[in-house]
Amino acid sequence: MSRPCFLFLVMFGLLACCEVNRVAANDATAIANTIDRHIQRRLDLEKAPQAAQSQDAEFLRRVFLDLHGVVPPVERTRRFLASENSHKRTELIDELLASPRYGEYMGDLWRGRLISPLANEQRVQSQRFADWLADRFNRNDGWDRIAYDLVTAAGKIEENPAVTYLIEGRHPLSVTDLTDLSSRYFLGVRLNCAQCHDHPFVEWKREDYWGMAAFFAPIQTPNRPKMVYTAGVQDDPRMTLASVQNADAIEGFQSQPPTFLGGETLQTVGNARLRAALAEWMTSPENPYFARAMVNRMWWQFFGRGIVNPVDDMHSGNAPSHPELLEDLSRQFAESGFDLKLLCRSIVQSRTYQQTSRPGPQPNAEDQLFARMPVKVLTAEQLYDSLVQILGPPAKTPAIDARLGARHEFCQFFASDGDPDPTRYDRGIPHVLRLMNSPQFAGRSISTLTSRRGGSEFSEEDAANELFLTILARYPTDQDLELFRDWRRRAGEPFDGAYRELAWALLMSSEFALNH
Amino acid sequence: MSGTITRRSVLALAAASGTLSGWLGRLAAHAAEQPAAKSCILLWMSGGPSHIDTFDLKPTAPINIRGEFRPINTAVSGIQISEHFPKFAQLMSHAAVLRSMSTVESDHQLATYHLHTGYQKRAGGVAFPSLGALVSQELGSQDFPLPNCVCIGAGPRHATRSGFLGPNHQPLDVTNPERGTDFLEPLTSQAEFNRQYDLVRRFNSSFEQSYGAEAARAHTAALDRAVRLMTAEQKQAFDVTREPDNIRDRYGRGAFGQGCLMARRLVETGVRFVEVMLGDGVGWDTHRDNFPRTKTLSTEADLGMAALIEDLRDRGRLDSTLVIWMGEFGRSPQTTSGGGRNHWARAWSSVLAGGGIRGGQVIGRTDAEGAEVVERPIRVTDFLATICTILEIDYTRSNRAPGSDRPIPIVDNTKPISIIKELF
Repeated sequence: MSRPCFLFLVMFGLLACCEVNRVAANDATAIANTIDRHIQRRLDLEKAPQAAQSQDAEFLRRVFLDLHGVVPPVERTRRFLASENSHKRTELIDELLASPRYGEYMGDLWRGRLISPLANEQRVQSQRFADWLADRFNRNDGWDRIAYDLVTAAGKIEENPAVTYLIEGRHPLSVTDLTDLSSRYFLGVRLNCAQCHDHPFVEWKREDYWGMAAFFAPIQTPNRPKMVYTAGVQDDPRMTLASVQNADAIEGFQSQPPTFLGGETLQTVGNARLRAALAEWMTSPENPYFARAMVNRMWWQFFGRGIVNPVDDMHSGNAPSHPELLEDLSRQFAESGFDLKLLCRSIVQSRTYQQTSRPGPQPNAEDQLFARMPVKVLTAEQLYDSLVQILGPPAKTPAIDARLGARHEFCQFFASDGDPDPTRYDRGIPHVLRLMNSPQFAGRSISTLTSRRGGSEFSEEDAANELFLTILARYPTDQDLELFRDWRRRAGEPFDGAYRELAWALLMSSEFALNH
Repeated sequence: MSGTITRRSVLALAAASGTLSGWLGRLAAHAAEQPAAKSCILLWMSGGPSHIDTFDLKPTAPINIRGEFRPINTAVSGIQISEHFPKFAQLMSHAAVLRSMSTVESDHQLATYHLHTGYQKRAGGVAFPSLGALVSQELGSQDFPLPNCVCIGAGPRHATRSGFLGPNHQPLDVTNPERGTDFLEPLTSQAEFNRQYDLVRRFNSSFEQSYGAEAARAHTAALDRAVRLMTAEQKQAFDVTREPDNIRDRYGRGAFGQGCLMARRLVETGVRFVEVMLGDGVGWDTHRDNFPRTKTLSTEADLGMAALIEDLRDRGRLDSTLVIWMGEFGRSPQTTSGGGRNHWARAWSSVLAGGGIRGGQVIGRTDAEGAEVVERPIRVTDFLATICTILEIDYTRSNRAPGSDRPIPIVDNTKPISIIKELF
């Protein structure tokens, strides 16, 4: 859809409020078609078959996890699977994007990314920041505006929670930290190697790194970490890289004038406006990195693999798997005013996203071509929130130190290091031992669940149905039921608690641990 | 390391030649009697112990620097340490004191990470594996039912993880040695557990057949390893209550002492790396009340550490077990108005014992105030490369992080490394 036509429709839609959604939906359909066209063209070229459509249950659980970060509530599952409405998938997508849970999930994700991994986890105060992000995502503010407000934030946390991004890091000098995070998350490039040396294969040089770092040099945070929360962030226009103290302690340090990545050096702007100048350059629709970086990251979030992979390593030597797709999506994203809900809606509406994750004849090639939906691992947050959704709040467990909050502790324990590959299961013995044998979730909560959903008033099949629906968001197949019956027979003596054991087994299953 | 014949290479050679007769066979048979490989026990002093009040005393410095503690003689003439390490002092012939540690990070979290991994933590950088995970990969055996890396005690875990080496080398945590390792026993009877685990296996194999995902295989493999550990005979090593009372008393009945005892049991069972933490994250961080707190902690450390070294020696394991005593940095020479000392990374001490090193020596020297290293500075990479060499690990070998094409050496060698040769 051309830009003027789109604008006209938006204006028309504002007059007739109920039209807005329809316009957005139409536009999403057009973008979804763009996605499918590019994916299909490549498949034709490679003579690779495309996977079948996902079943309703597969799609339901996947889209809940991807947009809300949690498995669907059992009542919603029942309703969705029973519905014969041919638009039920689109309606579900609308419902999920309109729910405040969408912004909360996105806020939680971006809190994790934007707060420096060097921040002191005992001290970090990030809830206000997550709430601020959630609110912006729920209002569907353009990604350019959100990024602008983060990069230019000033003041105290209670007045402007966005400053959390700038002050939770390595004290007192957060220049390198912010250079790394900003280039990685807003521009999709890894600059950090260039801090110390020119990269052998990549165009980024040390002067590129320090040219970007120079934009953050005027940021003043108090020397004492505790003071940060009372004093907040101010810029001191007199500070430049050249005036940084103890600069020789910073690896690779070079004093450079503020220079946009791959662009011009700032000459005229006074230092007080440095960060504003950076943010304006960054979020401009003409910026070559900004839209691509976010499109690629959102794609990675949904498909477990970037169009450019690794997700934050965009440079001339690392070609996208589908260049025209990335090009078109980035252009449309910028033209829409960096509309994230539109981008999400387009992706999850596409046939590509709604494929099954069951493999065809060449699973490895299929993953690269997006010829099936990749299987992702539930993140620590998705795992915790899903366990709570199914089993209720965690039980107090003496061996678990939840002083900083049960969710925080759980997510720290189960978190992967760094920015992990979403399709790689990297948990070990400590993690699965805890899932199997800790009373935090695996104890009484399961008994309570089975007394509610597998009680004696249920027939055998009803009880199994209830547990599968609640835990895996689907009905058991005939094969599942046969497997369960066979297991009971082989166990010999009839025993109590078969449904408790079934519930435990489903919660420990690979199917539950993964988003397929 | 070139030129030495390791046990593994001999066995491999013997196996490759298809015979165990002749000299090669005798050599292989001899090697098989030896402990499979070396082990390492890291005694981690959380918070950063004051070097001037433990292993690098400055009795002639002014009072605001030398502090309250007096030096005592050790079993090795000419070497003096703090009066609050009297038991360890008697074992000095087995140990080397490294007085010239000189590092760059002086924030707890960043320094702890740097000392554990050998790399500085960077925003958006690679997740580097800890020394424990590296030892687990290099020396551990895949078919051993226990994890090859165990971390005991309350304290920071962010730096002990396996990073890009993945789940097989993730340390198993024991928060309270008295309680053993957490979640090792099923919530139900073992029979019931086996039955319900059988059901998990059935569902998983059906899922894997339908979806064929690598993640599903890795998930099932992690479950299988955990279940094997739950039923392994060797898990008794986690139970210190099986030790006679007099032994348990010798180590000290606190969490650290019992942790040291568990470490000995684990190493004897075949675990390659055990970390025991003292100080619950901030213990040695004596910005105030440095002297009473350092005294208490020293006494606890002395008891556990001395009992461990002695016990390993008496049981014939000291030569194959390297014991490291260290924190993330030292503390400032100047005492503060609150009777404390602040962080000090550029000059501090660590201690090595056993592992076949030449003991009874002090390596490196600081100036009269303990403020600067004046002889033989030891950087993090020098230190870790030396540890690897003692453990017969080739520290120049590289790993590859998934999603990155950059080879990452076990110890960062972008700047030249200087091995502490005096130890060999």
